[in-house]
Amino acid sequence: MSNRPHGAGRFRRPALLLALPSLLVLVGIGLVPLVIVTVWSFWSFDPDTYWITPEWTLASYSALFDTGRVPVLVRTTWLALLTAGIATFFAFPAATIIGMMSRPRRAVVLIVLFTIPFFTSALIRAFAWRLVLGRTGIVNEALVGLDIVEQPVEWLLFSNFAVVIGMVAAYLPFAVIPMVLVLGRIEPSVMRASEDLGAGFWTTLRRVVLPLAMPGVIAGFLFVFVVALGTSTEIQLLGGAGDSSIAIMINDVMRVVNFPLAFAIATTVIVFLSVIVILADRVLKLSRMFEDLGT
Amino acid sequence: MKKWTDLNVSSGVALALTRRQLMQRAALGAGALAIGGLGFPRSSFAANEINFWASATLDIEDGWDIFKNESGIDVIFTDNGNDPGPVVAKLAAGNANDIYDVGGLQGGSEKELAKQGLIAPWDLSKIPNYETIWQWARDIPYITYEGKTYGIPAVINADSMIALEDKVGTVDSYAVIFDPKLKGKTAMEDAWINSAIFTAMYLKESENAPIAEPGNLTPDELGIVMEFLIKHKKDGQFRTFWNGWEQGVQLVANEEVWVMTGWEPIVYAARERGIDAYYAAPKEGYEGWGNNTILLKGAVDRGLSDTAHALANALLAGFYGCTLGQLRGYVVPTDNNVAYAEANPDAFDAKAVKELADHVKAKFAGKVYWQNTRPDNFQLYEEWWQKLRNA
Repeated sequence: MSNRPHGAGRFRRPALLLALPSLLVLVGIGLVPLVIVTVWSFWSFDPDTYWITPEWTLASYSALFDTGRVPVLVRTTWLALLTAGIATFFAFPAATIIGMMSRPRRAVVLIVLFTIPFFTSALIRAFAWRLVLGRTGIVNEALVGLDIVEQPVEWLLFSNFAVVIGMVAAYLPFAVIPMVLVLGRIEPSVMRASEDLGAGFWTTLRRVVLPLAMPGVIAGFLFVFVVALGTSTEIQLLGGAGDSSIAIMINDVMRVVNFPLAFAIATTVIVFLSVIVILADRVLKLSRMFEDLGT
Repeated sequence: MKKWTDLNVSSGVALALTRRQLMQRAALGAGALAIGGLGFPRSSFAANEINFWASATLDIEDGWDIFKNESGIDVIFTDNGNDPGPVVAKLAAGNANDIYDVGGLQGGSEKELAKQGLIAPWDLSKIPNYETIWQWARDIPYITYEGKTYGIPAVINADSMIALEDKVGTVDSYAVIFDPKLKGKTAMEDAWINSAIFTAMYLKESENAPIAEPGNLTPDELGIVMEFLIKHKKDGQFRTFWNGWEQGVQLVANEEVWVMTGWEPIVYAARERGIDAYYAAPKEGYEGWGNNTILLKGAVDRGLSDTAHALANALLAGFYGCTLGQLRGYVVPTDNNVAYAEANPDAFDAKAVKELADHVKAKFAGKVYWQNTRPDNFQLYEEWWQKLRNA
């Protein structure tokens, strides 16, 4: 019996030709700019012309460490990890209800409900949280009105707490949807078999559902992590005074037209993310998500 | 053909509020412009046609049609995003000089652009209205370089701080921003261009700090200013650093902060929401800012220098000032606006035009330090701002 994928054989050439335009677009608008950014990050900045000159240097990477930018990378990563972790935690039960316990129509309705936040801009979404968490916001009004606190709680807004709330609320669907897709593929017979063998709810969840859903869980975590790592809106609107993120830092640097430094920051993030994905694949076998493809 | 009576404008104050919004939207385009290559060199151009590449602040929208009737100059206005960094980059390394003839941006970049030969000096003999510009506006230090004038003030104003009367009473010093009694109740703008100069003004005037020019700090002076800000940030003095029009209004209107450095229109927006806010007149002075027109070298090369000069002159002739005042509430620094409004009472309210001008003049009657978007050590400013963010 042959293990060759369907794409092999006589369909291979037309399939490749069919994919060629997409491939060219992907390379042209995706890969080429990244390569250019990476190359330019090693070029010199000419303060006289505000432009880059093709003289190879590590100055921009050195500046990353000299000018206190590494803590921003670390802090943004930490916030993104926290957001992704919390979003994944809350997304799993939601995805279970949608993917395993809902009929198709209800599943669609629930998914649409989760995507409603995306019908408006990120700015509006984050701004709305200011009105909820602020000194005169709904939460503080309730806390004071119920005599739970005497004065409005200051740290609800302009804090890491507010940033994580804003990001989790915004990016939860990124975690839910891949989990729904994976959970929806778990055969009911597998669940029944577990039940027949005497496993209770928690045992089935731990030993059957979670292992089968793990690729979706990891994919959801990574989606949220990547988006949270690149955002600036929630941090600017909900974070403490002058809080920074990778995106804010790049924007700051671009405003003083130090392009090589901005490119160096971007390249560092790209490399960092690539390492994360490769490690995740090695440790958590992400490629299992795609094991049915091409067979 | 449109006339000035066709203009659909409402009160200057109300419409002034849209200016910041426009600038924000405009800023979104700045990043794309920074990299360059989005435009193409002009293959042909008319002798009376000028490509005016300026901050949205300077756009009079439908008014350009009437402007053309009045001056004979056909202005094609393009928003440059207002952010000086990408504008300078586009001029230095992009193709802005191939496309545009006259620029307009917040002041401070003139010297650098002139040094690199990217802009040309104005021939003031070809701009008779230049003499009508208020003297103190002509004295802005950074509009000249080696004795030649490179920037012509098109819009002038001065900023200070917004305060809530019932929370902080009447304040007359930036000291209130750093007052420990107001810990967590104050804010500054998330931009070193403004926050560094406000702090420097306070330290110079009220704390006798060795600072010569708050708008152009030396590395040592910058260190003093930023260390001061970092200390207060670490102490939790600032509720936030605000960014953008709507955030500024929300902070004041919801009483998240009781006093903050910022733009005067925020006061009007807060009052409309029933907040007892006012614009302070600090003893340390105002931060003056100008949005200036510059002559791009490309226009000279294309033989459009005379038309560009005619445009600069027409911007100061009165119609443009009256229209801009009504549309956005900003002032072109010349009395020609009032004269024009008086001569055209069916189009403009001369009293309102004069009140607007007097309001700005009153600010400049006291102490003013000029905002400088490109101080000599601007890269260092950014590095310090990053340290402040991390503090």
